[in-house]
Amino acid sequence: MIHLPVLKASDRLFKIDPEEAPTHDLRDELFQLEKEGELEVIRVPEPYMEVKTKYGRIKKIPVEKTWHHKSCGQCGHIPGYSTSIFWLNRAFGLDYYDPTDQTSCTAWNYYASATSNPEAQAAVAIRNFAAAHEVGYFPLIHCGTSFGHYKEVRHALVHQPELRRKVRDIMKRLGKKLVVPEEVVHYSEWVLAMRDRIAERQVIDMSHITATVHPACHYHKLIEEDAVYDSEIYGAQRSAIVTATLQALGINVADYSTWFDCCGFGFRHILVSRDFSRSFSVQRKIEVMREEANPDITVTHDTGCVTTLDQSQVVGKAHKKKVGLPVMADSQVAALAMGAHPYKVLQLHWHNTDNKPFLRKLGIDVDKTWAEFQAECDLIKAGKKEFMTWEDAEK
Amino acid sequence: MANENVLIIGGGAAGIEAAKGISGLGFKAILVEKRDRLGGTPDEEKYAALTPDLRDTQEALGDLMAPIKDNPLVDIHYNTLVTGASGELGNFTIKALQLGKEIEFQVGAVIIATGFKHFDPGRETQKYSYYELDDVITLTDAEKMLSEHKFVRPSNGEEPKRLCFIQCVGSRDRRLGNEYCSKVCCGISSKQSIEIKKLLPDCKIYIFYIDMRMYGYWENEIYWPAQEKYKVNYIKGMATEIVKKGDKVLVKGEDTTLRRPMEVEMDMVILAVGMEPSEGTQQMAEIFGLNKNKYGFIETTGGCLDTVSTNVPGVYAVGATTGPADLEDSVSTGGLAAMKALSAIRSLAVTA
Amino acid sequence: MPQALDIRQNKYSDVTQEEKDRLFQECKDDERWSHILYGCYECGICVAACPSARFYDFSPRLIAQAVAREDTDLIYTLMNDSVWDCSQCFSCDRCPRGNSPGQVITVMREVAVKNGLNTAKEALEGYGRIIYKIMSTGSQVSPDMLQPNAFPDWGHHVHDIAENLDVWRKALPPETLHTIETGWKVDEKTIIELYLIWHMTGVMDLILGIDEGLHMILVDVMEERLEEAGYDIEFD
Repeated sequence: MIHLPVLKASDRLFKIDPEEAPTHDLRDELFQLEKEGELEVIRVPEPYMEVKTKYGRIKKIPVEKTWHHKSCGQCGHIPGYSTSIFWLNRAFGLDYYDPTDQTSCTAWNYYASATSNPEAQAAVAIRNFAAAHEVGYFPLIHCGTSFGHYKEVRHALVHQPELRRKVRDIMKRLGKKLVVPEEVVHYSEWVLAMRDRIAERQVIDMSHITATVHPACHYHKLIEEDAVYDSEIYGAQRSAIVTATLQALGINVADYSTWFDCCGFGFRHILVSRDFSRSFSVQRKIEVMREEANPDITVTHDTGCVTTLDQSQVVGKAHKKKVGLPVMADSQVAALAMGAHPYKVLQLHWHNTDNKPFLRKLGIDVDKTWAEFQAECDLIKAGKKEFMTWEDAEK
Repeated sequence: MANENVLIIGGGAAGIEAAKGISGLGFKAILVEKRDRLGGTPDEEKYAALTPDLRDTQEALGDLMAPIKDNPLVDIHYNTLVTGASGELGNFTIKALQLGKEIEFQVGAVIIATGFKHFDPGRETQKYSYYELDDVITLTDAEKMLSEHKFVRPSNGEEPKRLCFIQCVGSRDRRLGNEYCSKVCCGISSKQSIEIKKLLPDCKIYIFYIDMRMYGYWENEIYWPAQEKYKVNYIKGMATEIVKKGDKVLVKGEDTTLRRPMEVEMDMVILAVGMEPSEGTQQMAEIFGLNKNKYGFIETTGGCLDTVSTNVPGVYAVGATTGPADLEDSVSTGGLAAMKALSAIRSLAVTA
Repeated sequence: MPQALDIRQNKYSDVTQEEKDRLFQECKDDERWSHILYGCYECGICVAACPSARFYDFSPRLIAQAVAREDTDLIYTLMNDSVWDCSQCFSCDRCPRGNSPGQVITVMREVAVKNGLNTAKEALEGYGRIIYKIMSTGSQVSPDMLQPNAFPDWGHHVHDIAENLDVWRKALPPETLHTIETGWKVDEKTIIELYLIWHMTGVMDLILGIDEGLHMILVDVMEERLEEAGYDIEFD
């Protein structure tokens, strides 16, 4: 035993005190603007769940009546991501809405090419919020960048009267109101808030699994005070997002020294300068995870991160780098834990890095489940059914 | 008839010096202290040696407080917290709690010397992992170890071979709302470097800084000796992240003079935590109705030409109650407030 | 690394001072500017947190310093040679001075695009198809973009997807995801509203600055669909 006058980290207790927050609570300012007739606030529907954010403030997370603001990258390239989110809602019998009156947030393009401007970006955001409000549902944002960008937009609308006026005028011409949600909620916050209910219905044991977590930059770096923190997780020194969810499922979450680094997506880089994305992703993320934590899987919660971390490993393998780490979204892992089908629901065939060893470690019969999915495809090919339905996926 | 006694709240360096001043001029000083001993933060947090002269803290504080101990003109009330105040210059009634018992003082003026607290690195914008990693400590943790003349890694008890200081933790930061410089941390880090090098001559020490701020004699008394005699490495560039790497900690920053990101392995990191108003200071501001600045420190009224008067006549603020202060500032303002308090009371007597 | 203070290394000495000043003034006129750039004490925290600084000769600190000093020579150089290396991850948002070098770069990029700087055109080479996709459909990427020639470095997996695309899209349980050209099924009225937003916010001017051909195609598509929806709108 060492006797020192200094406390060990495990005995140091950080108390988050909302009184010491260095910022105003944006929601108070929103409600004040509503009183002044400047905008309308979309309330979080009851019943809601409560999580804590960086400064210890309470954030309301709706249970249902959620309007799913889909992600173009998820729906386009890794569709099992959003399918798993919907599957979870269906599994709990919750009222959710999958709209067709929705555009992408267009922020990927904005951060990639700058071929847009703040008014256009805010108008796209508010158009989507208004569409949700018109049908009586509350926006739940699937994409990390959409989430971060919408937080920025909300912040700008509160603090820039001129922008507010311009967007209000645009909305007026579209026959819509300037509506702003009381909370900007990311789907991974919903999964986190639901984690105990998910764990109650867990059918696949994951206690022998080690995972690393990549927190999405635009989730916790843009308006960082609005990300979920928990004093039980890393002493509230970084966001609890994803980590808390995985721990609730019994997964051992292992740390690694580049946890804060981005995935390498880079917005324009992933499309037209992929040498950067590949190198960064492999050298600063995947290899470090493998060397320091040797996980079975890495789990993240954003479109670009899943894509970059997963797809970049192909070239890494060719260069004999230490790769081969399956990448999934938290929604997929949560759905899998509750017994969702790996191909009909998680749609893992859209992912690149081999995830079969991981599935086998969970005791899932990969060949059988793939054959089941193939059988559905054969029926579609043969024209015997037009689509695979939820009923087909859930049976 | 004006009451000529002066109440001093807080028994640190500033309060002690104020009590010395009042009693030395032949008037009565009532000194209330919340702890059961005098000496303030340097004593409570077990500072090893004072900055800049590296004098042993207990010895120096002993000398400072000697004139007020057993002094018939100084009433010291330990374990006492001020809870309320009424009246005006020349005639204040102060309520206090002494070990659960309510007591009252009648005085003509009040000197507030309730000091500061150290910034809690858990609130830091950068990722310094103080609440995650044993080998990340603060300046005050380091003082406690140095006062026991033993400097080791908290994780395993071994002597560190490489360690670094990170400056400006909780200071000069707009995002935290602490835009001010805490004034003493550059000097204390340099002083601690010298102390560590004396204990562990082979330990390599780095100080990551934005600007080194050691004014006047601190330059030649600590900065230059640390660099020239003790070979401390000063690197212009800040660290932003500290993570675990094997049994070491990895510090990520930029060496701005080399213009590249750097990642360096260390055995230990010492965070140079800055100053914030103590709870006592904030409570006294409420009780006496004193104006505070945006950082919560008590605001003085005369700018740089009156460093102790507040918006309430007869109430003075000294030491670190008005902003980051070193010991020189504390004793200087303590003495100044003693003089101002008595002259204010005396001028009442003259005009009455 | 550009050294604009040293006149011998000023790569853009042929560009007039007035032009450089004008472009910087355009940055400063942005409504965000006063909240994303204060001053810089050159601590390097932004560089330490920056992914691009690890792979390129790129420094968010240099950008913050240049704009804080209003060194329009250096700013012009950076606006051409540096801003497109940024990953826009906003790790640098932790700047203790409250700067956001990443957002400063967003603004500088907008000004570069709007003014049709050649370097901006080069940086966005090959990106036009994506602008076309996002502006015309409201989806940044779509299933039909998963073609082996577009993603040769993603391996054989992209071939599998391209081959099975039609069936695999139909084998998605959510009814909205059976699409090929967009991420999900989007209502006609929604697209029209999006076009109206592009029109009202002058975004098409930015496209014009970067790619005239693309601008022409987009205008054709949008004007036609708007007309079908009963709007008589002309993009300038």
